[in-house]
Formats: sequence, structure tokens, C-alpha cells
Amino acid sequence: MGKLTVSVSRLDFLERSQNPDGAWGYAPGRQTWLEPTCYALLALYPRQGRVFARGWDRMRGAQLPSGAWPAAPGMPEGHWVTALAITLHATAGVWDEVFQRGVAWLLATTGGERGILVRAAHFLRPSLVEFDSRYSGWPWQPGTSSWVEPTAHTLTALRSASGHIHDPRLGARILTGERMLLDRRCRDGGWNYGNKRILGVELPSYPESTALALIALAGNPGLDGPAAAALAERQWQATRSRLARAWLTLCLRRLGSRTDVLSPLATGETDVMATALEALGSAAVLA
Amino acid sequence: MISETALQSRDHRERLISRRGFLAATVALTGCAPTSRAPGPPGRSSVTILRAASYNADLADLLLRGAAACHLDVRGKRVLLKPNLVEFDSSTAVNTHATIVAAALEVFTKLGAAEVRIGEGPGHRRDTIFLAEEAGYRRGIPDFDRRFIDLNRDDVAAVNGFAGEQRFYLPRTALSADIIVSLAKMKTHHWAGATLAMKNFFGVVPGAIYGWPKNRLHYIGIHRSVLALYRVFPRSFAIVDGITGMEGNGPIQGSPKPAGVVVMGHDLVAVDATCCRIMGIDPDQIEYLRLAGVLGHTAAGEIDQRGETLQSVRTNFALPAEFRHARLA
Repeated sequence: MGKLTVSVSRLDFLERSQNPDGAWGYAPGRQTWLEPTCYALLALYPRQGRVFARGWDRMRGAQLPSGAWPAAPGMPEGHWVTALAITLHATAGVWDEVFQRGVAWLLATTGGERGILVRAAHFLRPSLVEFDSRYSGWPWQPGTSSWVEPTAHTLTALRSASGHIHDPRLGARILTGERMLLDRRCRDGGWNYGNKRILGVELPSYPESTALALIALAGNPGLDGPAAAALAERQWQATRSRLARAWLTLCLRRLGSRTDVLSPLATGETDVMATALEALGSAAVLA
Repeated sequence: MISETALQSRDHRERLISRRGFLAATVALTGCAPTSRAPGPPGRSSVTILRAASYNADLADLLLRGAAACHLDVRGKRVLLKPNLVEFDSSTAVNTHATIVAAALEVFTKLGAAEVRIGEGPGHRRDTIFLAEEAGYRRGIPDFDRRFIDLNRDDVAAVNGFAGEQRFYLPRTALSADIIVSLAKMKTHHWAGATLAMKNFFGVVPGAIYGWPKNRLHYIGIHRSVLALYRVFPRSFAIVDGITGMEGNGPIQGSPKPAGVVVMGHDLVAVDATCCRIMGIDPDQIEYLRLAGVLGHTAAGEIDQRGETLQSVRTNFALPAEFRHARLA
């Protein structure tokens, strides 16, 4: 089966899975969350149909007064998913006030490890969790520490929209975010969820985190492109995680070294996020 | 060095500093933290210790005997089994063994539960179904896919009063269960000392909001979060898989430790304190147990041991470097 047919089948599933409020849950008929909503919209963007339009309006309407997006509509707390909303705006080429406020929130949000108490504690016992405290990225939630996945998503978002961001903080945040990712790289060349060494013990990398970090760092001079592609390919071959393979496929397309023919969507499919990412992998919208 | 003033404001500081800072501060504090135990509740608790040499034993029969010893009544109740499925590494014993989960499913069904579901929200890896596959859950647990709910992605509701948080979100599947069974693994833990029935509830917290890892819990403070979660889910029961536990650099990178026991009880504080004694850990050196207060009993004299005696099953687990002081005399 060819890519296009399979991708359309996934897009059909996504269209059928839209909740009555216009957004998506992680599974059809479940509570709306903005993470699967953004992925579904990114995958459906090329179709530009009524389903996309309803979802787009729902997503935009969920923005908080702070400029952030919450994990789910109605929650008052800002969330890392703001990065996905910005990537979606960049994909759609919408650079309006909603977009600008979201970007401003991202640029003002940083990992909690920049706090003086944390730095003091880290200074006292640096071997507990080894990281360079000069480099901060983005947290899952404001007020907590930087981790690989939200940092990678935010870097991808900011870089995809950089031509339309005029905030003077942009360059420095991207630079420090990239340095943070490079600093957290595991000895095996990939990325764990956030740490490389705890109590002196090396941590193994995860394929999901590795894929996201490599997407975020693509083109960075600190990254050896062919070696990165080889690592992603090895991890793709080694993992049986559907989610990891979906991320790695996107990564390999970004690095220009792989195009996949997707297998048909399974009967009884329920995973909106994985399906959307697989569809994106065949279209490479996100990357 | 950390000053006395800083010690006194520990709760406040835990909320201010990051996981890394908190961990560093916590460990720096370990040697000088107060060791007095908060007074427990009135009455006594009972904990059942059962011997099981391997996962090939008749575990359903074993758990049935344990349930009877604990006077467990789940007739007509909606039961949520919460195993410890955190990461998979074939070289060690990270997760609650699939055969224990399968046996618990069989037992709670046999005991007349109206519904038995299985739920977990792993704290490191995002692909929960992949972890369940790797850990043998999908092959070894009947009807797993229909019964299982990924708590990281479940519908949620806000609760008030969780460790001082204005709002804290928890999965509806867990909040609506009549009883949550903490199917924990007996492991040492490099930050908490031990991870047993109570800390297993970290897996209930939804990653869709709090991330991977669930870093908000580290900011609140690991021990404070353990206690706050138990306050939210007091209708619980514990089954701790110590047939093969983990020692050393747990909860992920330690070594398998055959202890040959399953520990059960209604009072999760008492179960955890008993597990600590089996592992050769002084429960008074585990902060969440020391602070448990009215939530349950930790003193050996207030816990009726059923089944095997503590002395007959004690097997010292190698302790993480930061907890060497916690060895039970």
C-alpha cells in the first residue's frame, strides 16, 4: 500500500475522531486535550476542510489571558503544549496577536533550575544529577525544571516561526535551549527524558526523546548530521514502540535519510496521537 | 552547609526549588533530619506476609489466602489494580511481575468485585502500551487491553487541598474506584530510600498535565507527595511483589533481589513499614513513613504480623549510597 493511501486512511480516522467540541482526546470520545488536538490539526492541515476549521477555532479559543495554552480547555494553568500551538500557527502561516502572545509566554518561561536555591544545592552536590546549570530550557509546567521533550518542542516551534518573532530574547533563548539539549546528551549519543547521569551512573537514551531532540537540533553545528541520522535509524530498528517509531520517522525525514511506507491502520484504532504522528511522518509537516 | 533556619522552612523550600535542588537539599539534610516519628492513629493494623519462592507458584491461591487473612471484602466494588509499570529492562526487575497482576485480577474477580480494571501512568516513558507489551502484561494478563487504562491520558478531575496546591488533577478512573489496589514492587529507591505501596501512587498522577517525569511531585517534595496521594486515596489495599525485588540503585537501575515474599494489608503505611523491615531498612529513616502520623502505623509494636514472621523472611537489600545510614539494626 502506498504512502498517500495510508496517510489518507489515518486522516480519515482523525476526522472521524473529532470530539463534538471540535477538538480531540487521546482516544475517540474521551476528554479533549490540546496535545492530541494540535497533532491532529497538524496532520489535517493539508486538507483544510471543515473538520480542520472547527478544530482550529477550538484550539485558538482555548488560549489563556497569559498567552499560554493549557493542557486542556478550561484549565487555568499554562502548559508546554503552547509550543505545539505555536508550531501549528507557523504551519498555517498565522502570525497574529494570538500567535505573538503565545510566543511571548514561551520566551518568558524557563526551567526552575535557574533559581538561586537550586543552583546552590547543585553546587553543593553536583554529582547527584549532572547538568550544566548555565543552560536552561523549558519545563512541562511553569515553575518546574527543564526537560528534553518540552525543550525540544519549544525550540522546534520558535525556529519554525523565527522570521515572524521580533522579540530580542529569541536568539538567546534558542541558543541556551540548544546548549541545554547538547549538555544533557547521554553517553550513547541519544537523550533520556532529561538527564544523562544520576549519582554517577550513566542513563540510557530513549528513542522518543532522542527523536525529538534531534529534530530540535537539526542543523546545529554541535550535531554531526550523518551520525545523528545513523543513531536515529538504529533506534528505529531497535524499538518496538509505535510512538517512538512515529517520532523517529519524523526525525529521519527531517534529517533527509528516510521515507517510510506505512502499514495500514489497524482495525479498532484508538490512539489519536500516534495516528496523527504517523500521518505527519508521511507528510512531514511538523519537521 | 544548610542552616537551621533553612531546615525549619523545609516545606516552603521544597516548593520553591526544583527537583534537582530538592534532591540535593534532601540528601544534604539526611544526616541531620529529625528521626522522631509522628504519632500514629489509635488502634492497631495487621499486615500479612506470604512466602512465594517464584513466579511459578500458584499465586492466585496465595493471594486468596492473603485476602482471607486480611478480611478483604470487595463484593460489589469497583476495583482498580495499580501495578508498578515504570520502565522495562529485561536484565532487572523494575516492574510488578505480570503473573502477580494476573493473579490479582483472578482473585478480585473471584471475590465478587463488580469491576476490576488495571491502570498505570508510567513516569518516564510515554508509550505505555509498549511498556505493557515489553513487561509481558499484554500476553500474560487475560483481557488486558479491554481492562487497561493509561492513567497518563485518562479523563481528569481537579481536587483541592493536595499538598497545598490550588488545584491538582487526578484521573477519573482512580477517583471513581471504590478501592485502589497498590500492586507495588519491593524496591530500594535512590531518592526516597524505598519505593513500595504508597509511592506506587505516583503512577496515578497524569503525565498529560505533569509531564514525564511528573516533576511537580518533586517540587512539592517526594515524601510530601506520597502522603498527599494516600490522603486522596484512603480506600486502598496493598499487595507488594517481593518475590523478586530490586536492591541497590533502584527504582530502575538496581539489581534483582529475590526475597520470596508477598506482603498484603489495608494500612499502606503499615505494609510499607513491614516491607522496610523485611528489606533490612529502618522505617524511621524513610521520611514519608516517619511523617505518616495518623495515616497509619509504622511501629512494629502496633502492627500484627500474620503469615510468616518478619525474622523468618528478612533479607537485607543492598541500600543506595545515600541511605546506608538506614540499615535496620
